Amino acid sequence: MRVIANLQACQGHARCEDLCPEVFSTDAVEGKVVIENPEFAPELEEKVRLAVRNCPEGALRIAKGASA
Amino acid sequence: MTSQFAPPAPDHVPPELIVDFDFFSMPNGCPDPVQIWHGLVEQGAPPIFYTPRNGGHWVFLRYHDVVDGYRNHEMFSTRGAQVPPLEPYPVLQPNGVDPPEHDVFRKLLAPMFTPLAVRRMTDGLQHRAERLISGFAASGHCDFVADYSAKFPTATFLELFGLPEERLPEFLRISDTFFRSTDPDIRAANLQEIFEVLEQLFREKERDPGNDIASTIVQARDADGNQHRWEDIINCGFLLYVAGLDTVTNTMTYIWRYLATSRDARQKFHDRMDDPSAFMIALEELMRINAVSNIYRRVTHDCEFKGVKLRRNDRIVLPNTVANRDVSVFKDPQSIDLDRQVNNHVTFGVGPHRCIGSHLAKREIMISLHEWLRQIPDFELDGSQEASSAFGGPVMGFEALKLRW
Repeated sequence: MRVIANLQACQGHARCEDLCPEVFSTDAVEGKVVIENPEFAPELEEKVRLAVRNCPEGALRIAKGASA
Repeated sequence: MTSQFAPPAPDHVPPELIVDFDFFSMPNGCPDPVQIWHGLVEQGAPPIFYTPRNGGHWVFLRYHDVVDGYRNHEMFSTRGAQVPPLEPYPVLQPNGVDPPEHDVFRKLLAPMFTPLAVRRMTDGLQHRAERLISGFAASGHCDFVADYSAKFPTATFLELFGLPEERLPEFLRISDTFFRSTDPDIRAANLQEIFEVLEQLFREKERDPGNDIASTIVQARDADGNQHRWEDIINCGFLLYVAGLDTVTNTMTYIWRYLATSRDARQKFHDRMDDPSAFMIALEELMRINAVSNIYRRVTHDCEFKGVKLRRNDRIVLPNTVANRDVSVFKDPQSIDLDRQVNNHVTFGVGPHRCIGSHLAKREIMISLHEWLRQIPDFELDGSQEASSAFGGPVMGFEALKLRW
């Protein structure tokens, strides 16, 4: 599974970074989400899902399978 | 709710959507301005209603309508949205302009307020919190507002703007008038005073720049390599001044007021002192429940929103406290659950104008609470809080909060 960010929708709330810093960080220019490793480890699934559900802009989603 | 007769509503407002509601006014004996808002919901006010008070404005009560109010900048503008209407009112940068114009100053400020930038401020904030709290910890009591929550964010602002801490009382007085006064003459004089202070500040930073936000703004160049318009520079300073002080002060005051009455909550934070992530989840819930801001928008053109006819220049008030307790979005919304898992509150707004200082605000509050609990593990309200100390308006709060330990 991997997590995808819509950077148009992201407004830099950084809730994802607070909730799951293992997967999400934010950039130094606009403070928008940066996903270093979109294909996260299975043991992080619960934390990633929590981060996705807590995005106030609905800018994150989880996609099944590896990237093409 | 108020003794005087309300002025008539304009003719596009149907009578069934009119509620006589003055969000600046505190009814006698009401201890908490948040209650006047939740009272409206309990009394079954229409989810979108019009009040003729304060120049006349709409109120959106539902979470999803408030979110639309924030996101749909083509319909709901921040430009000239003051309630009551105030003319002439500066076009604040970047908050008072809509995208794409908004991007110029937003992008200029953004790097100074990212989570990364704010993490670098941690040591300075920590030292300030330690110093302020140790100043009264041994005395066993304080007025939380005068001794802490007003001082801390204002002193932080002064430091970020490269101003000396001696000017604290002056800055406190000016922002207090800005948010509390509805008297046109006092408001006009207050605006004038803010402009004079900022003019002097930016002129000084232009001559003698330092490593501070004011210097960065005044030294910034536009796409053509020129300094930004002087008016925009001043209005950007204006925004940061009025947005970052009173809001943090009153959010903190609400949070400490609650913690003073809940041993369980204090204990939960104590248990999480070494777990920043869990500490933050609990604090996020207090940010949801203690949303002090009621935000303004102006309708840009005659239109219909959720079946309600709106007219160009109608004002809208978006009460975050009501949106944050919408039962269709939050489970058991009136109860404070420090383990709440999904918490999409709108305390900092959403959309393009999301509070740029949100990370600084949260860090100020997190560091303050952590340091407070380290020095003052247990505390309570000192006597009954005077109801008269509470105030409504765009930023709700208390003039004083007496605590003892």
